[in-house]
Amino acid sequence: MKKYYPSIRALHLYFGLLISPLVLIFCISVLVLNHTDYINNRYPIQNLPVTKTHIDKIPYDTSDLQTAKNIIKKLGVKGEIDFIFQNDSQISFPVLLPGFTTSIKIDKQTNDVLITRKEEGAFRATNFLHKMPGPHNAKLRGNSFFMQNWKLLADGVVYLLLFLSASGIFLWYFLKVERKLGWVSILVGIILFTGLLFFLLT
Amino acid sequence: MLLKKITYTNRRLHIHIGLLLVLFIWLFSISGLLLNHGDWKFASFWEQRKQTKTITSIHIPSGLDSTQIIKNILLQLNISGEVNNVKMNADSVDFSVSYPGHVNNIHTDYKKSICVQNQLSYNIWGKLRTLHTFNGANKNNASTAPNWLLTRVWRFSMDGIAIGLIFLSVSSWIMWYKIRQDYAWGYFAHLVGFLTAIYFVILLRS
Repeated sequence: MKKYYPSIRALHLYFGLLISPLVLIFCISVLVLNHTDYINNRYPIQNLPVTKTHIDKIPYDTSDLQTAKNIIKKLGVKGEIDFIFQNDSQISFPVLLPGFTTSIKIDKQTNDVLITRKEEGAFRATNFLHKMPGPHNAKLRGNSFFMQNWKLLADGVVYLLLFLSASGIFLWYFLKVERKLGWVSILVGIILFTGLLFFLLT
Repeated sequence: MLLKKITYTNRRLHIHIGLLLVLFIWLFSISGLLLNHGDWKFASFWEQRKQTKTITSIHIPSGLDSTQIIKNILLQLNISGEVNNVKMNADSVDFSVSYPGHVNNIHTDYKKSICVQNQLSYNIWGKLRTLHTFNGANKNNASTAPNWLLTRVWRFSMDGIAIGLIFLSVSSWIMWYKIRQDYAWGYFAHLVGFLTAIYFVILLRS
């Protein structure tokens, strides 16, 4: 097994360096998600001026999503289309980017468009990325280029994190000087983990 | 000498904090994958949920405020968990009590002195998913703090794990920097990682 040590060490190091900035996104967002109140007070969301415009014709298509895609293309808005609401008088939907939300509302009778924008900042951007693609709105999710890429990247980070933790154990095992204390660390981890889960789940 | 001591301690902390957190890392990694892949059939939980309905007679003493009423109901039913979705009416109260993998929707009618519990229990996959998101956050009111001790403990643990992982990331940079000449591709790996993170967090919305 020891013959694999140099190559595992190199992979642990390179993959670790590669994903560490992305791991930071997930970690910072945990703090943001758990302390939303603090973030809201310190870094409030900025509502940008409302824009009113007009389109000559609503570019209807085969599905609501395709219609919404045509609309944002016409308006020059970029992002991930979220829940689309449509009735006899209007079409409305938000368009999401990490830390920035654009809401579009179109009057079907007059073709008047109301665009509202919210600048949510870098902390909420990490929050958004952590939750994406997520379990909700699965049929719609991944309708933008950036979200398709983020989906792959988020999975990749998790798989590499699993590799890093397994390879980390492998590397530690061959460090004789750290072996004893390492067992103590693992044991403390097991006690904390099982203890917390026992009380939470029963 | 001091720098040598710092880098040595940094390396040791990287190893032992990593070993301490390994089970938590696996839990949040696997549950994160489950949340992002709701179409994984083997991990379906909603279809396998268990639902039970229980009707219990209950007595609500008069002169209590809303918090005291809920505490009193929980005491009489001998249940605990994170309370949310509270709706107070003149002659009834509705709320839910949850802990990972379990939701109890409670309706209490003061006049009839009955309490109807609709309980939902999830399988192991559902429990894993809810552990990932169980932080007591109220979407409608961000200023509301968790009201169950164990939610607070779990949220504190989540913060600790996140800080631990931040440390593991930063300490790895320090460790690599010391041996950067032997691992020159580290510059490339680091640059690609940072540019990707900056693109998603900052550049996309600018």
